[in-house]
Amino acid sequence: MKNQNNDVWVGILDKTNDPQLEEMASKEFYELPVVDALSDEKFVEQSSTNRRDFLKYLGFGLGAATLAASCEIPVKKAIPYVVKPDEIVPGVATYYASSFVKGGDYCSVLVKTREGRPIKIEGNPTSKVTKGGTSARAQAVVLDLYNTERFKSPIVMGEEKGTATTWDDLDKTIASKINPASTIRIVTNTILSPTTKKAIADFTAKYPNTQVVTYDPISSAAILLANEASFGDKVIPDYHFDKAQFVMSFGADFLGTWISPVEYSTDWVKTRKIKDVHHAKMSRLVVAESGMSLTGSNADNRILIKPSEQGQAILYLCGKLGGGTSGKVNDKAAAALDAIAKELQAAQGKALVVSNSNDKNVQIVVNKINELLGSYGNTITFGNASLQRQGVDSEVQTLIGEMNSGSIDAVFVMGGANPAYDLPNSDKFKEAFAKVTTKVSFAGVIDETTAMCNYVAPNNHLLESWGDAQPKRGEYSLIQPTINLLYDTRESEMSLLKWAGSGVKSYYDYLKQNWEATLFPSQSNYATFQAFWDNALHDGAISVPVSEGELAFGADVATAAGSIKSASSAEVEIDFCESVNIGNGQYADNPWLQEMPDPVMRTVWGNYLAINIAFDGDNNYATFKGMNQDSKGHTDIAKFATAKGDATLPVVPVFGQMPNTVQAGLGYGREAITSTGQNTGVNLYPMLSINSDGLTQYWAEVSSVEKAGVEDEFACVQYHHTMGVTGTLEGSEEVINVDERILGHKGYQGSLTNRTILRTSHVGEVEDFVHDLQHEREHHQYLNSKTLYPDYSGLYGMGHHWGMHIDLNACTGCAACTVACMAENNVPVVGKREVHRHHEMTWLRIDRYFYGDVNNPNVVYQPLMCQHCDNAPCENVCPVAATNHSSEGLNQMTYNRCIGTRYCANNCPFKVRRFNWLDYTTADLWPANQFSINGEELPFGADNLTRMVLNPDVTVRSRGVIEKCSFCVQRIQEGKLLAKREGRKLKDNDVKTACQTACPTGAIVFGDANNKSGELHKALESPLNYILLEEINVRSSVTYSAKVHNRNTELDA
Amino acid sequence: MLYKRFSIQILLLATFLLVGVQSFAQPNVGEGKQLFKDNCAQCHARNMKSDLTGPALGGMEERWADYPREDLYTWVRNSQKMIADGHPYALELWAKWKPTVMNQFPNLTDDQIESIILYVNDEYNKVDEVVVNGGTAGGATGSEPTNWSFYYVIVGVLALLALILGRLIILLNHQADQKEGTSLGEPKSVLSQVFSPSVIAFIIFILVLLFGHTVVNNAIDLGRQKGYQPQQPIKFSHATHAGEQQIDCQYCHDGARRSKHSVIPATNTCMNCHAAIKVGSTYGTEELTKIYASAGWNPNTGQYFASNVSEDDKNKAYKKWFKDEYVKANADATEKRINSAVDKQLANIQEFMGRPIEWTKIHNLPDHVYFNHAQHVSVGKVECQTCHGPVETMEVLEQHAPLSMGWCVNCHRETEVKFADNPYYNEDFYKAYHTEIKNGSRTAVTVEEIGGLECQKCHY
Repeated sequence: MKNQNNDVWVGILDKTNDPQLEEMASKEFYELPVVDALSDEKFVEQSSTNRRDFLKYLGFGLGAATLAASCEIPVKKAIPYVVKPDEIVPGVATYYASSFVKGGDYCSVLVKTREGRPIKIEGNPTSKVTKGGTSARAQAVVLDLYNTERFKSPIVMGEEKGTATTWDDLDKTIASKINPASTIRIVTNTILSPTTKKAIADFTAKYPNTQVVTYDPISSAAILLANEASFGDKVIPDYHFDKAQFVMSFGADFLGTWISPVEYSTDWVKTRKIKDVHHAKMSRLVVAESGMSLTGSNADNRILIKPSEQGQAILYLCGKLGGGTSGKVNDKAAAALDAIAKELQAAQGKALVVSNSNDKNVQIVVNKINELLGSYGNTITFGNASLQRQGVDSEVQTLIGEMNSGSIDAVFVMGGANPAYDLPNSDKFKEAFAKVTTKVSFAGVIDETTAMCNYVAPNNHLLESWGDAQPKRGEYSLIQPTINLLYDTRESEMSLLKWAGSGVKSYYDYLKQNWEATLFPSQSNYATFQAFWDNALHDGAISVPVSEGELAFGADVATAAGSIKSASSAEVEIDFCESVNIGNGQYADNPWLQEMPDPVMRTVWGNYLAINIAFDGDNNYATFKGMNQDSKGHTDIAKFATAKGDATLPVVPVFGQMPNTVQAGLGYGREAITSTGQNTGVNLYPMLSINSDGLTQYWAEVSSVEKAGVEDEFACVQYHHTMGVTGTLEGSEEVINVDERILGHKGYQGSLTNRTILRTSHVGEVEDFVHDLQHEREHHQYLNSKTLYPDYSGLYGMGHHWGMHIDLNACTGCAACTVACMAENNVPVVGKREVHRHHEMTWLRIDRYFYGDVNNPNVVYQPLMCQHCDNAPCENVCPVAATNHSSEGLNQMTYNRCIGTRYCANNCPFKVRRFNWLDYTTADLWPANQFSINGEELPFGADNLTRMVLNPDVTVRSRGVIEKCSFCVQRIQEGKLLAKREGRKLKDNDVKTACQTACPTGAIVFGDANNKSGELHKALESPLNYILLEEINVRSSVTYSAKVHNRNTELDA
Repeated sequence: MLYKRFSIQILLLATFLLVGVQSFAQPNVGEGKQLFKDNCAQCHARNMKSDLTGPALGGMEERWADYPREDLYTWVRNSQKMIADGHPYALELWAKWKPTVMNQFPNLTDDQIESIILYVNDEYNKVDEVVVNGGTAGGATGSEPTNWSFYYVIVGVLALLALILGRLIILLNHQADQKEGTSLGEPKSVLSQVFSPSVIAFIIFILVLLFGHTVVNNAIDLGRQKGYQPQQPIKFSHATHAGEQQIDCQYCHDGARRSKHSVIPATNTCMNCHAAIKVGSTYGTEELTKIYASAGWNPNTGQYFASNVSEDDKNKAYKKWFKDEYVKANADATEKRINSAVDKQLANIQEFMGRPIEWTKIHNLPDHVYFNHAQHVSVGKVECQTCHGPVETMEVLEQHAPLSMGWCVNCHRETEVKFADNPYYNEDFYKAYHTEIKNGSRTAVTVEEIGGLECQKCHY
């Protein structure tokens, strides 16, 4: 069975069969020794409860309970509408098409509202850009709406939190501060909205000395400038990842963070799904980078190059392709690039090379490579060019100079821009900004720049606003309000228009007029504007025809190549990356995103330093500078220094990190931020440098790295809920399953060392692999047929039998599903300390496994939720039958019956059950018991406003009960009811789980396995399918299809 | 316990018999009800007893008894033709009701008309029963009154039996002992038999059991509100609206058919009728004006107040309205009496001015229970009264059912799913049940049998 890859691992601990890990994995709930905690003097001193208090509380609690039990039942009120809106039926969800826009991030969405409050984001399949997919960031936007610390009115900043004012007063004040001769600058991140741009133009007409300064914290300015130089079009082109048979990415994390990840993920995965195992074909993805990015982890091959080597590597590749350039890279990478050049040439016209370099010259060479490969017109076009990054960093640098010279009268900060935090020279910006007399921020919540402003004219939250977006040329979408204004806020465009003295009554009118004037004439489907508008509003996204212009490559490659610097000679380099969840820092105040583990590092609530793990070929692993994590939840803290300062970060050893390079995420360490985002990580923006073109460079030379202590609350979920750990049998060298050793290793059924958890194959060997897999499964099924359990297949054959299929090949690990699950199922946020204690509550986790070459491994992501086993081990051990099986194959969890013995979680082989150790949902009557996730004054979730995000169809669990994935039973019941009411069979579309709808790549298919014509039934026929731990006969309802990669081993040589 | 089970079985048997009888008859009450609703209800009163636009239909069979049944059919299909033809009873009716012309229903078949007649008779007699039983019936599902005296008699007889048997054993033992010569004097007296340690221990045991039973039962009932009948902010009478006026429940509670909530109607739903009916039958202007205050409607002009009308002006308008109506009703009232009555009414409506009406919620389920009205009303076709009781007779609404889990579960055990009628339960998915129904081994599928007792049907 050559394809049975035994070599799948999570990290060093399991690779080396660390006894600590065995001990940890043998317990469902890994508990830090209580004695440790109690003997910690600091902890004991901090705790405010002493014995007398305890007795007081006990007595009071008993008395109160007695009193409460004898009291009358509280009177509840039912308050109907005075005039009920037609579209609202209490208890029935209403969906509105809208768009998620934050800076350049874009996603066309449907907003689910209940009784007039938005509670969930779904993808909008009408959109030609995001095609119904969503990202974790888009999923989390509903939570921002209910942030209790949003600005509640216009503010005149001053001491403390400033003083509230009225819009009339603010308008008057601003009018007195600016006049048509004033020099005004509007600082913003990328603006996708054409109508916002028009409002700014109207403002500029009144104040002609106004200029817009656009920049993006994680900039793609070099691509814009390179395309201007190459084609005379300063724009991000339209990349067609679905048409590329070979994608070569130099550091561009296009599946995770780069420009338009949702769009690129949906496209790229189309070339990765195996349709026919006998003629299996798939595209290739090679990523050249130092640290493991989400895209790198999905790549077939990774070429390890230092951040400073990227320009040289691109030059080298260009030269190999006949571009007349030459570059110098490390020998291994050079050899790999030689092979890649051949592969690229073979894929002429179907190749695509992208880079995240923010050096204009490098991007010109990348353009040349694409030109040589015939990508233009095939995999890269300009007709629907992307507008999702428009910022040019040098503009904001110019602004700093202008502000210093005192020539600027007023600065307006809009579009989520936060230059006082996210510029490489934010200290200089702050210094200069302080000199401007009139500083107005349009931010909805506090940030570093807003804290420095004189006035805050708070913008509406996205879900309260009218607006539009043009993510790509020819692609437009609308933003519509889904709730009335929660606070006294106003669209920033309205503020600009008011100050420009425009007579516009509402932004809605203005928006509509703009669409009537600009978009309506450019389409021919609708005769009247009203019909066009209604339809656009209903669909959320529209396309208008665009012309595909003739492009001629006209850049001076030789000059560009000449100005690319040679690789740094520094011993260690650091790569600064954008994280999938926190982005460039604008999402740092969202607890859902903070709690979402980083796909590769598996860390939460902060940024961490990824370091290399070296393998000496003898099962010995040496981590960089000997810094390491242990299984007890500690990790070493590294202090590292760059030319622009030093920082300390906890380390995470990551397989695949290039030796002598480290990597860390930007966007953390925000200072002026709402309370749940306080004290998370370290701000690394000041370490960035600016090149001669004024463009930010996202790497630095590291002059020293040393161990500087130990992080005691290391919140990394890598080894939490580990399954299938192997160990060596004492007294012999035999490798066995850890759980068998506990049982005494007597050859139990299915006692296979190689537990069925992951199955991977190379695309060229799929046929053999399928043969082996089927053989293996037949063996398991034979063993299972000897069971003593009664057979319930007759029962499950009737009615519905819910099942799920997960295509590991389509899953990119983007984690949109995990956030969608939290939003749908009221999963609590627990914070850093609790995650450190293995208490994270996520129902759906994504396990990250490495396989293949230890020094340069491949990665597979495995979304894991309750498998709804038909022979569920958890059900048999519950003493109160709180978890049992339904006739529809659901493993039901009844919270109100649960008494919290946690036997079920202990007996779950997949470790998917979660216990409410504390009052995470702040449902407790006594404020003293309320749980805060990040030391915030008002516990997150304790306020009624935050609780408005809860899904009213899902019970909020209290302390002391187990919870787990329910297969979105509320959606199942809703779908069934709809079919029953309409008197018809249940269709696939009636029931879709939250994770399924969130997934941008269609990796998750949910449905009724008894429905022979359904989508699930089709998916279940794939020969690549396997069932997790099939050998232990739990009969799970979730089927996985094996990960198939397309690694070229020649590149490893 | 045994008795209880027995009585339940009898009840069940009776239900099955009734259902059986119903499903064999061709024209049936259910169809008749629907037909009546669709065709007749606009003109004929639903209680079949009172005249409306058309005459009360109750007892029509007796009135037409002198003529062939076909005449009745013809009358329903085309009454005017019959009058023109000079049918004696037709002429009699015409004399009484002209110029009101009955609509023509040429499409109704004989069977359909029979169904209507069945329904009419059914309703007519039902109303009679209500009168006979003192107004307690009407879809009530309550359990049989427990026959306590029967229990006492049985317990008494058993106790007596135990005493006699005990006595017999003692006497026999005594005799046996005497024969063997081990006897020590007289047999135990009756008194010492009754107060023997074992009997006392037994009685204590029984008492503990009874005490425990009572405590547990009462503890279970904690938090349950059967019979909860709070005062509402408006003295809204379901008896008037649903009973007397025969307004369909779902006219106001329009969420019941499509949502989990039945929905307490918005004020503007009330205004649909009460823009015309301005003075209530029981409370006059006193209660109804609260609705107008909530909706911002001026009963004097029949218009909604413009948005810029001040609170004072609104109060003046309502004051005028109260005064005019009071004077109309009490022509001989003194100025002082008028003023005090008007002031009192005006004070009462202040809390409603421009605000939604805060009703007191009667049917409360715990947060961890998911209940969906649409499932029961639209899919299960369960009558509102099954759970809410005879609402149409309630002047002040009260909670009829205990809303306990046992109560829900019991209904799910007994209630039959509309299995054959709904293509959702098609043969592809429920083959076994369909086969059993076809071959006669099964007559119906209960909610329990399609998983209606599983935890996550209601708890998630």
